[in-house]
Amino acid sequence: MFKETILKEIDDIKARYPDPKSALLPTLYIAQREFGWLSHEAMHVVAQSLNLPEAMVRGTASFYTMFKHKPMGRHLIQLCTNVSCMILGAERLVDFLKNRYSLEPNITTTDRRFSLVIMECIGACDRGPAMLVNTDFHDSLTEERIEEILEKYK
Amino acid sequence: MITININEKEIRLDKPVTVLEAARTAGIKIPTLCAHELLEAYGGCRLCVVEVERMLKLQTACTLIAADGMVIRTKSEAISNARRSILEFLLINHPLDCPVCDKAGECELQDLVNKYGATAGRFKEEKRKVPESHEDRIFTRNMERCVLCTRCVRMCNDVQGASAINIVGRGGRSRMEPFSPTSFNCEYCGNCLTVCPVGAILSRPHLHSLRPWQIDKEVETICPYCGVGCSFVVQVRDESIKRVIPRFGFGLNNGLLCSRGRFGYEVTGSQERIKVPLVRIDGKLHQSTWDYALNLIADKLKDIRDTHGGSAIAGIASPRCTNEDNYVFQKFMRMACKTNNIDSISRIGFASAQRYFEDLLGQGITANIILGLKNSDIILVLGGDPTAVNPILGLSIRAAARNGTKIAVIGNAKGLERFKTLRIVPDIFKEAEVLEYLLTEIFRAKGLRGEKPALDRKIEGLSGKSLKIDIAGLAELKDVLLSGGSVSIVLGMDVVHRSRGHRILFAVAGITYLLEARLYLLSESSNEQGLIDMGCVPDMLPGGRPLVVGDFKKRFETVWKGTIPEKGGLTLMEIIEATKDKKIKVLYVMGENPVFNLPNTSYVKEALKSLDFLVVQDIFLTETAELADVVLPASGWSEKDGTYTNLERRIQLLRKAVNTPSSADDWRTISEISSKMGYEMHYPRAEDIMEEIATVSPLYKDLTYDEIEKGNCLWPYNGEPLRGVVSEIPAAEETFREYKEGLYLAPEKILFHSGTLSRRALALRKICPEPTLKIGTNHAEKLGLKEGDNVSVSTAQGSINVQVSIDTAIKDNKVLLGNNFEGRGVFSLLNYEIDPITKVPGIEGCEVTIEKI
Ligand code: SF4
Ligand code: SF4
Ligand code: SF4
Ligand code: FES
Ligand code: FES
Repeated sequence: MFKETILKEIDDIKARYPDPKSALLPTLYIAQREFGWLSHEAMHVVAQSLNLPEAMVRGTASFYTMFKHKPMGRHLIQLCTNVSCMILGAERLVDFLKNRYSLEPNITTTDRRFSLVIMECIGACDRGPAMLVNTDFHDSLTEERIEEILEKYK
Repeated sequence: MITININEKEIRLDKPVTVLEAARTAGIKIPTLCAHELLEAYGGCRLCVVEVERMLKLQTACTLIAADGMVIRTKSEAISNARRSILEFLLINHPLDCPVCDKAGECELQDLVNKYGATAGRFKEEKRKVPESHEDRIFTRNMERCVLCTRCVRMCNDVQGASAINIVGRGGRSRMEPFSPTSFNCEYCGNCLTVCPVGAILSRPHLHSLRPWQIDKEVETICPYCGVGCSFVVQVRDESIKRVIPRFGFGLNNGLLCSRGRFGYEVTGSQERIKVPLVRIDGKLHQSTWDYALNLIADKLKDIRDTHGGSAIAGIASPRCTNEDNYVFQKFMRMACKTNNIDSISRIGFASAQRYFEDLLGQGITANIILGLKNSDIILVLGGDPTAVNPILGLSIRAAARNGTKIAVIGNAKGLERFKTLRIVPDIFKEAEVLEYLLTEIFRAKGLRGEKPALDRKIEGLSGKSLKIDIAGLAELKDVLLSGGSVSIVLGMDVVHRSRGHRILFAVAGITYLLEARLYLLSESSNEQGLIDMGCVPDMLPGGRPLVVGDFKKRFETVWKGTIPEKGGLTLMEIIEATKDKKIKVLYVMGENPVFNLPNTSYVKEALKSLDFLVVQDIFLTETAELADVVLPASGWSEKDGTYTNLERRIQLLRKAVNTPSSADDWRTISEISSKMGYEMHYPRAEDIMEEIATVSPLYKDLTYDEIEKGNCLWPYNGEPLRGVVSEIPAAEETFREYKEGLYLAPEKILFHSGTLSRRALALRKICPEPTLKIGTNHAEKLGLKEGDNVSVSTAQGSINVQVSIDTAIKDNKVLLGNNFEGRGVFSLLNYEIDPITKVPGIEGCEVTIEKI
């Protein structure tokens, strides 16, 4: 079960809606934050704290690709390789990540520092290539810039 | 009035319905895949597309509501093309493995493809691979065959209310799955299985054992397990039941079933059946012949009756036997054996409660229609979990909750945890105080009704007592009950088998009376009500006619041609005690297992051992049969014709489905013994017994099998109920017992089993193979127990070893254990104290120690 403080946080979310079902997505985010990813245990705890059926929690969670469905590294890199970014060299960046950090799409580095997910357009087509690291946004990427940025994420 | 036109045919509708429904009522078929009559429209598969004039695109008939003036076509080239394409899409990922799929022959996809074409599809891509899952004990999931119609999920969520499965993933990778194969809150109702249009969910018990067309016959009959009495169809091949299938649109269950009904059918086909009469010689049971055994019984009974009088004989009838069996049984006891010592295991709950309520509130007070629960504003549940004892009734409560009915639970009803509005947990064994408090509060708010003076007086008297109770939620519960809506009360037997259970019954009667509530009694066995109606009670003749009223007695004596003994008989526990005292010398047990099903097993065993002669008629060599002098094989539920009366007092037909040469109908065996004893009974068929019942019992007046077959034979048929109620309510001296902080053992009714019968059903045994002790989280922590630990459970009566299961819903000092498994039934650990009013053996307050082993 969650700690008291987190239960309190969930209660506050529940209070916003007439139906506890509506609190499911925000609570899944909390669980992801606390457990690192949406393990069965995490989803079980979410089901318990909202008094919702477990199968419903899993069905909902599994629909969204932006939830983490397997253990991830400390920092999640979401790199766009959609058309504009691709033209501006995103593919080279994928190779660079592989060579420099042994980081491949859908893989976590052995030191659990980074995970990489390839994204569709993230809305920065005019300043591509672009990526998200956790929730931070970075654009106009080059190999040097990526290295420089990633230095900040230990 | 709405007028629409489908395929040039004018259709008038009273109310707006979907185009699909309108077409169906007009006999026009529209193909469907995701639509199902028990489920809300979904509009997922698009197969039901039709053309509607002035609408640009094809429309899905299952979601389109008919509007006045609509002109619809269900057949055209465009429609056929659309359907063919949809099917082609569905086949992209389908493995096309019909030759090895159990569903072939009754698969909706197969039929549709057969009709509309697109047999293979043009897609050259690799098919999605999902390995068939055999992780579950009962279901095989083949997600390559799944067409994602979500019928199973909607069934499990919206109808069954278990919400055990869901669609996971998305797009082409979507599939139906439980939360996890190991943590799966499935109730094994199998309702998902029956609505799956394809072979994506299959039942393992008969996997690859049968093709749908390889069936000798289908017989419509009634479930043998609980007092709801669901209808279903059994499919028979080579004189053995291959599976149970529901019939949507029929019976009070409308095609829904619970785990016992759906998977418990193997019982009568068990290898452990007794096949020939057994007679005790030199202390051991030996195989014998029918002639020898029946003569022996007749001689012995005659001898005892003539030397010691009928009062030395007693009979235990069975709530699992038919009305016909029980009618003949009590007639035999009264007329041939000259005794009124007739009772049944129902004394422990249903029969006593039912009698108490009828005495106070009038005959028929508990005859309420299960589906009516949905129309209540408030449902008060106490004394057990309806979703486990009477699962299909439980579904009505869940459905009501979804429609906004307030569900108030007193005590524990796990299956309603997600459906309840409020729940209060009284201090241990203090339900009476809580109910008396509620009764007096209702009396203060609403006053008396003035219709039943005895009841009014007693309620008034009760309000003089000062009741101080402080339980979370009680005030809210009171407000809910007084909020003015219509109230239904669902009473389980856990609060009836108490040494002062009559206090609880009185309070419930009072609340029912003041609130004009509908009262439902949960009933564990299929024919508890019928048993009472047939007169298998010590003080009443068939039709609930009291023995003491001379006029009634005379009427029966004229038809039965003989005299009925004057003296009222003994109740169940009194019979056992009289046996121990050697006052009763012969006991005749029909289809019951008192050694296992009564508290204080060792005492009951001793008592039965001190008998001169014990006859047991059963389908298995039960713990009781092992002690018998003569054991007679009987016929099981699927082997006989007859009727059951369910808890709402609906009479339904049980039909013979299989022939088992070694079985014998209970009523036939008993009539033969009776005739041998000089009291002639000859009935060629079960139907002829009903004919007699219909002449003598005022409640079953003019009832015939034909009439029952039509359905809806509900209380009180053509009969006149007795409306008289008691003028003085019996009272007993109140005793107060303080319960210490310890742990107390109580019986649990589990969903997957039903007494000792179901343990012989292989599928149910797979679902629930072992007894478990349920314990609340708090106590488990205190004792350092984890899920699955082995413990010894000991009381003053003895000790047994079982596994622990932690139940978060248990909030009081109780631990629960079922009474199903050989050598490990809860009753063997309980002692009893008889309630002076209801004569129920009270089994509460049995302190228990639990130790890890
Ligand atoms: S068997 Fe019943 S409870 Fe289990 S998944 Fe199917 S519908 Fe749900
Ligand atoms: S398993 Fe059957 S009922 Fe469930 S979605 Fe698939 S095809 Fe439909
Ligand atoms: S609810 Fe009762 S009658 Fe219906 S299927 Fe289940 S056990 Fe049988
Ligand atoms: S294409 Fe990469 S941000 Fe739009
Ligand atoms: S039946 Fe209408 S969309 Fe499936």
